[in-house]
Amino acid sequence: MWFKRSSIVTFLLLILFIYLSMKQTEFDLSKFADFRNMIDFLSQWFPMDTSNLPRIIEDSILTLAMAFLGSFLGLLVALPISFLAAWNTAPSRFLYQITRVILSFVRSIPEIVFGLILLTALGLGPFPAVLAIMFHNIGVLGKLVSELIEASDPGPQEAMKAVGAKNGLANLFSILPQIWPNVLSNYFYRFEVAIRTSLILGFIGGGGIGQRLFNDFKTFQYPAVSLDVFVIMIIVIVVDLLGNIVRKRVI
Amino acid sequence: MLDIQNLSVQYAGNDQAALSDVNLSFKRGEFVCVLGKSGAGKSTLIRCINGLLKPTNGEVHFDGKAITMLNEADLRQVRREMGMIFQHFNLIPRLTVLQNVLTGTFGYRSSFRNLIGWFSSEELERAHRVIADVGLTDQTKKRVERLSGGQKQRVGIARALLQRPKVLLGDEPVSSLDPGTSNHIFTLLKKIHDQHQLLTLINVHDVNLAKRYATRIIAVTNGKITFDGAPNDFNEEVFELTYQ
Repeated sequence: MWFKRSSIVTFLLLILFIYLSMKQTEFDLSKFADFRNMIDFLSQWFPMDTSNLPRIIEDSILTLAMAFLGSFLGLLVALPISFLAAWNTAPSRFLYQITRVILSFVRSIPEIVFGLILLTALGLGPFPAVLAIMFHNIGVLGKLVSELIEASDPGPQEAMKAVGAKNGLANLFSILPQIWPNVLSNYFYRFEVAIRTSLILGFIGGGGIGQRLFNDFKTFQYPAVSLDVFVIMIIVIVVDLLGNIVRKRVI
Repeated sequence: MLDIQNLSVQYAGNDQAALSDVNLSFKRGEFVCVLGKSGAGKSTLIRCINGLLKPTNGEVHFDGKAITMLNEADLRQVRREMGMIFQHFNLIPRLTVLQNVLTGTFGYRSSFRNLIGWFSSEELERAHRVIADVGLTDQTKKRVERLSGGQKQRVGIARALLQRPKVLLGDEPVSSLDPGTSNHIFTLLKKIHDQHQLLTLINVHDVNLAKRYATRIIAVTNGKITFDGAPNDFNEEVFELTYQ
């Protein structure tokens, strides 16, 4: 009743892909026979070493600043661009195509690649990391917002034209209020992702709590590592809660 | 005041013309209802008048200007003299009644002032007056998505009124409202029409509404004008022909 004959083929194909992927990734549950090692290792993480807490908090604030600045500058740049990258608001077919190509090009470069290039060119520190996050987010948010614009109700846009408003203004006023809650929603998700990204960028010298985690790990200071991880978890949870509050208030 | 000459519209990928060779002339003070089946070309006709749609052929003249020949900037100047109301109201969601009504002034103001939202006390006063005219004073600060259908259309009318229009266009403004509310909206439109001596052009599905309020009825069938005359002359026979 619920399954067509063709879905059996799909099912078999999925099994095949899972098997092939396991082969490729050396997926092997028998390795858990040495599970004791993991417990031994993790037991070295405790008790937490809290002597560095003030500096960890300082680094966390730096990480939050990197993530916020990178993603928010990304949103600011992406907003006007996304109006060019949506077919219903683009001033010309040519501009529409060009901006879409540029956006997908920027999006296809991972933050870590931007980071490696910028950290080499501009020197170590958080500033290149902020730029790396910003560039990638221009690509991602530009695409997401332009899709929101394309899915918006064309009625208000027509009304604004009928009133005699200029095209750009008509688009802005009729579309932005419609999509604003979804834009914020997407932004908060990207902010969360940017926090995780800034950790990785810390590993390659971008600063913040990511760099501290990496250094503590590489110097075998596991009681410090456990506190780093704990603080990171708290940051992510708090930002998630904050995002929910803002979204509720806006909608 | 408004002349339509040899107007034809052909949509891409469509064999039949949406409008073919339409000739009409309107005077100030006329309250015209346009009748016709869905897809007969009523909306196309209305949208050619304020240039939301470019006709394939023919011309529309308004106060001596050929709308179909105007550039974007001049077209905007013509549009602000024509208020338009819509079937789905086309209000801007998440903005209040007052904010929505104030967008009616956009055609008269600089982009910068519109963007900042800087309105003169005269503009605000007029906005409050038109909101009172449509009977929504109590709802001024309310967001439009919290209003009923009839109230939403009143906001649409207030927005159009704030343009100080010479022409009022309506694209099936009561088609998504119940009969009682439709009647109220038409009474309001008629009152405003008489008060400002407008030229009013409205698409309707309800023949009885048209006969009660219009001073002139036009019927469109398959893109052609098949009736143009006094409401009393729109008889059973014409009805059959229009809605066959």
